Amino acid sequence: MTVEVATKELEKKYNRLVGTAASNLCAHCGWCMDACHVYQATHDPEATPVAKAERVRRVYKKSHDWMSKVFPFWTGAKPLTEEELKKWVEVAFRDCTLCERCVVNCPMGVETPQLIAAARSALTAAGMAPELLTQLADMAISREENADLFRDFFLEQVKEMEKELQAHLKDPEARIPVGQEGARILYVPLSGAHTMLPPAILFNSAHESWTMSMFEASNYGVFLGDTARAKRIAERIINEAKRLKVEEMVLAECGHAYSTMRWEAPKWFGGPLPFRVRSILEVLDEYVRAGRLNLDASCNREPVTYHDSCNLGRKGGLFEEPRRVLEAVAQDFREMTPNRAQSLCCGGGAGLVAIPEWAEARIKAGKPKADQIRQTGASVVVMSCDNCRHQISELNEHYSLGIKVTSLAELTVQALVPAGVEKRVMVQT
Amino acid sequence: MLSAGFVHFAEYELQIIALAWLAVMYAIKAFQLSHLNMPWEKAPAKGSPVSGVFHSYAAIFLPWSMESSKKHFWRWVEFGAYHVGAGIAILNTFTTPFAPGMMTGPVRLVFAILIAPAVFLSVVKLARRLARPEMRLISTPDDYFSLVSVGAYLLSAIVALLVDSTVARVVYFFITAAFLFYVPFSKISHYIYFLFAGMATGSRYGRRGVRPQAGRAS
Repeated sequence: MTVEVATKELEKKYNRLVGTAASNLCAHCGWCMDACHVYQATHDPEATPVAKAERVRRVYKKSHDWMSKVFPFWTGAKPLTEEELKKWVEVAFRDCTLCERCVVNCPMGVETPQLIAAARSALTAAGMAPELLTQLADMAISREENADLFRDFFLEQVKEMEKELQAHLKDPEARIPVGQEGARILYVPLSGAHTMLPPAILFNSAHESWTMSMFEASNYGVFLGDTARAKRIAERIINEAKRLKVEEMVLAECGHAYSTMRWEAPKWFGGPLPFRVRSILEVLDEYVRAGRLNLDASCNREPVTYHDSCNLGRKGGLFEEPRRVLEAVAQDFREMTPNRAQSLCCGGGAGLVAIPEWAEARIKAGKPKADQIRQTGASVVVMSCDNCRHQISELNEHYSLGIKVTSLAELTVQALVPAGVEKRVMVQT
Repeated sequence: MLSAGFVHFAEYELQIIALAWLAVMYAIKAFQLSHLNMPWEKAPAKGSPVSGVFHSYAAIFLPWSMESSKKHFWRWVEFGAYHVGAGIAILNTFTTPFAPGMMTGPVRLVFAILIAPAVFLSVVKLARRLARPEMRLISTPDDYFSLVSVGAYLLSAIVALLVDSTVARVVYFFITAAFLFYVPFSKISHYIYFLFAGMATGSRYGRRGVRPQAGRAS
């Protein structure tokens, strides 16, 4: 029964991208091996991108490849079995973070993550996906279903945060508006206060017309490869933005939330969304370039480096925006090598950081990133993704990196000089 | 020894039949693939899909654009030499029967010299596939057979170019035909799928503004 359901779901996912990745496009040359952080960390032959892709590709070949249908042994094609599905759970949810680094390093352009995402979908349909990911996705959906209950609690929290905001800005008029119709921007945070207060400080400082969403930007349906759940989670925020008639939706510093809403949601809903979708990175970049924030880079004197989240960079195309902001808010910005489209995954992406039973494997897979951070000599690591933040914080502890992990908005707030005050040098403690 | 009619058949009719077979097989595959649902990008573009596609196709010729080829430069040189050799051997199947006047002694020698490294590299690739556990794990009988058959094909091309023998030529053309019949069913077809992949991956990365950024990454 499980196998049947999984097979049916695999077939549903067989589109042109998956079909191309599952074809003889892969020449089995092995060029992708070094690109994978999991293989770099473990040197396990089964952890190479091509080996992971082969597990799924061979199942697809059994039903779609001419040669494999007649002589399966010749191409290694095989039917899906219960045992294979059990193996897929680890391959698809633990050993691959869908970071796409193998894709940009494949001479043929094989999209291995397409196959792994199809495997995730099949496992979710068969009820074999990690339980916690499923629960987190369902919780997000139930938050909409019980919006009235949740709203009062949320507004109470925001009121408390507003006091902090006013104290920080020394402005009793500073506000964190929630659900305010007619605002220009709908800001969608994550559940942590660190994704609400610093942006609130920055929006207020830039005199922005904004309001905050009561929903969180993260979308665990995407990690599950479950388009129906992912659509429902995204739809909550889209409907809110439509109701409030905002010009644009600005997403918190969260990799997958950005790539989902900016690039994937328009595919699910049949076309561009009726408002602009941006990451807060782009908004901060705009503020910096327009001189809307009074910033003093000397407030951040420690060496700073930036980690390109896979979803923001390789999947999202945001490379220069955070760098321009960093140049404005930090005195000693250093690049990691490699960076931008070749950036290494932190090891905790695609929901892996939320699965406690695989923590050991995740920390091991993060070793290449830890080494890369150490090589920069930076004492502050900035990242604009909460998944990466959790993972790099744990890498910091495990590999004794001695770094401070922070977000771009938080670092920008540190460099913020109240309007009318001369730029001054702040001594970091 | 071999009748003129048989040699003519090997060099012309057989090749045309094999090429027609290849074309029909690929046409069917392309038809099947292009009729699958395509999740086109629908969000407003940040970059240029066209330059993304261009970069995607060009990346293989720019070893600095991919970490895999930058870090393993000699593997990239091997890749180039192997495919140049294969390309020359294929070209020779056209020039020998259709432009015999062009195939002078020096040209034949140059062709053979260009193909020779590819024969050597077939052996190297086979040895690497057998020696490295990572490569063994992903290899199928098709991988081994494809490598050996390409190697044999290239070798037969060199022999046909350097030895003035009708038998050598006929063997070369029969191997070519056999090869053409087999290719649509094997991983050797990667060069056709590459066109689809380059288009899809390249346009997505281009549209999202990821490429040609990839080329700038240090």
